[in-house]
Amino acid sequence: MSMIALAVSSLRHRKSTFVATFLSLFLGGTIVMAFAAMFDTGTADGVDSTTSEALVTMASVVGGWGLIIVAFAVVSTLTMSVRQRSSEMALLKNVGATPGQVSRLIVGETLAVAFAAALLAVAPAALTGKILLEILQETGQAGEQVGYVFGPVALSVGFAVTVLGAATAATVAARRTSRMRARDAVAAAALEQSGMSRKRKIAAWVFIALGVDLGVVTATVFNGEGVDAMQTAGQASIWFAIGLALLSPALLRMVTNVVGALLSRLGAGGWMATQNMRQRVHQMGGALMPIILFTGIATGTLYMQSIENAAAPVANTVTTAEEAQTIETLNLVVVGMIALFAAVMVINTLVSATTYRRQEFGQQRLAGSTPQQVLRMVGAEGAVLASAGVLFGSIASIATVIPYSIARTDSVLPDVTVLLYVGIVSAAALLTLASSLGAARKTISTPAVEAVAV
Amino acid sequence: MADHYRSEPIEALRLESVDKVYGTEDNPVRALDSVTVGLAPGSFTAIMGPSGSGKSTFLQCAAGLDQPTRGRVFVDGAELTGESETALTKFRRQRIGFVFQQFNLMPTLTVYQNVTLPLRMAGKRSDRDRTTAMLRQVGLADRMGHRPSELSGGQQQRAAIARALVTDPRVIFADEPTGALDTKSARDVLQLLRSSVDHLGQTVVMVTHDPVAASYADSVMFLADGRSAGTLDKPTAETVAERMTHLGDEVHMQDASADAGRKVVGL
Ligand SMILES: Nc1ncnc2c1ncn2[C@@H]1O[C@H](COP(=O)(O)OP(=O)(O)OP(=O)(O)O)[C@@H](O)[C@H]1O
Ligand SMILES: [Mg+2]
Repeated sequence: MSMIALAVSSLRHRKSTFVATFLSLFLGGTIVMAFAAMFDTGTADGVDSTTSEALVTMASVVGGWGLIIVAFAVVSTLTMSVRQRSSEMALLKNVGATPGQVSRLIVGETLAVAFAAALLAVAPAALTGKILLEILQETGQAGEQVGYVFGPVALSVGFAVTVLGAATAATVAARRTSRMRARDAVAAAALEQSGMSRKRKIAAWVFIALGVDLGVVTATVFNGEGVDAMQTAGQASIWFAIGLALLSPALLRMVTNVVGALLSRLGAGGWMATQNMRQRVHQMGGALMPIILFTGIATGTLYMQSIENAAAPVANTVTTAEEAQTIETLNLVVVGMIALFAAVMVINTLVSATTYRRQEFGQQRLAGSTPQQVLRMVGAEGAVLASAGVLFGSIASIATVIPYSIARTDSVLPDVTVLLYVGIVSAAALLTLASSLGAARKTISTPAVEAVAV
Repeated sequence: MADHYRSEPIEALRLESVDKVYGTEDNPVRALDSVTVGLAPGSFTAIMGPSGSGKSTFLQCAAGLDQPTRGRVFVDGAELTGESETALTKFRRQRIGFVFQQFNLMPTLTVYQNVTLPLRMAGKRSDRDRTTAMLRQVGLADRMGHRPSELSGGQQQRAAIARALVTDPRVIFADEPTGALDTKSARDVLQLLRSSVDHLGQTVVMVTHDPVAASYADSVMFLADGRSAGTLDKPTAETVAERMTHLGDEVHMQDASADAGRKVVGL
């Protein structure tokens, strides 16, 4: 009981961290429930079999991808928030809390946030599901007479995924923090000493291998098979992007090594940015993840669709105009949903991570840094994050684009507009810089002396 | 006034009728109430007073970390006019060093990088030999590559003092620099401040609650309810402690103590 009370009271004191966790769970919950509602709708009595099949496919395939990405984002947000609070946890241990109590505190808080997020996600999810059904009806994939049902599947899957998923992620993250000795935790909060875990590296390479494998299958097995190639091609860049996102601390270290020397010469701000990125690959890597996902998935899926639109119909497969339409709608819904989610994650992560640095910015100003120098530092960090995110996101998208181009047009490079790519890259850069600079600007509006007094 | 400037060297720090009011118009908190002070270069002054008497506010207004509501502040003869944070920062970079109770070193930088940070921010080159000598002086020559989280509190505070000294400022301000330290580390820190006055001719202004710490200074200035409540020259731990216990009485005899204060600060 006392731990729950403590959890609730500490919720109030770490606003930006909890906002980030809440937002990822809320959005994730909304997406999962909205797609699960297609299952409710499709399996209701009196729905014709074509509609039923279309809706159930949508719910399981699209909802499944969504689920993976949502789970991934929630885990990474939670890991970030637990990391941000490790010094607070160390403090609790110093005053005598056992590791078990600290774990229960973290898990308890997360459960409270997850439950609230799931509850509040019900209404927007019901609305999103309804809009989804209307789109499907307008494009003729669902019968006009089909009634919208937001029922048991939507609710149970939504709550189970949000609450149980969050609890599992929190348990894993909490175990790591609470195992640390108190003194080490204080030090680790200031400075990261641990590398990436073995498990994480293995998972990353498994996902990358899966992405490559799906790309190869697309280019070989599905060569000349028409639109069927999408089944494997679409997923290829998603898996590849998740794999690279998991490796983001290592990738960021690599990029920092390359650009650090140059950046350091661009004044004190650039130099500070380099030092920060060297010392905080994990924290900064957390912000890199959603940028990779956004770029990789948006580029992969949108180019796959534009290759498809430009490709000649394949003689030996029969794809009706209606089917083509269905596929396009599906792709756009998927990419729209995932890109939107990843975009919110980019903002979410950067705002939370930047706001968290309030004290550090204060210390820097007290040491003689002007507000402009702080902003230049944050801008330099943002520029590196955006470049790295775009670079590795683009690499991930290749797993979809080139194999699909080979499969559908027999040429390695697709003959489609580059404007789409320019748009995606600009969006990624804009999101990154605007969220980190905006948050930094707001954070340094507090007088430095106040900012350092925790 | 003109006489004053002609006959004496420029004061390292001068506050003229400084007021600081916090809070709203309906509910103002007068943290500083027409405080006037002048400190000679090469002096070591301790500021003492009960909790909430305005010591930190005094230090922050004097150091350009906060702006007085009324009154003027001069550091080495140059007026601290607060237009923007950038202007104030540039003013501080050239003339002021600050040491905090909580050290405030940058966690991602090494000791060496922390010490040279103010120079870097000012776009100046740091002299490796000079910095190393400075670190040797504060006893951290073998810790230059360590990060703050790898140091003890006393070591962190000594690094912070080296950082304050590195720009060769006109005045060093310290707000309870020994507040978070054990007795031994506190003594090291106080001796460092003392020797910067004796050997480098630094001017140091230090807020403290500890009569022993105050005894390292040349004089003690007392604050009570935001007002100057007299000074004490050549303080010892005993005389300071004695004076602190009677500070409450003195507030009621403000006129008398203000007179005494004026004599000592050379008005
Ligand atoms: N930012 C602020 N807003 C409102 N009131 C403030 C603020 N800062 C200080 N005060 C008030 O001004 C008065 C002087 O505060 P100050 O921090 O200068 O005291 P102090 O002498 O340093 O006390 P302590 O010994 O406890 O550190 C107090 O009444 C305090 O509550
Ligand atoms: Mg104080």
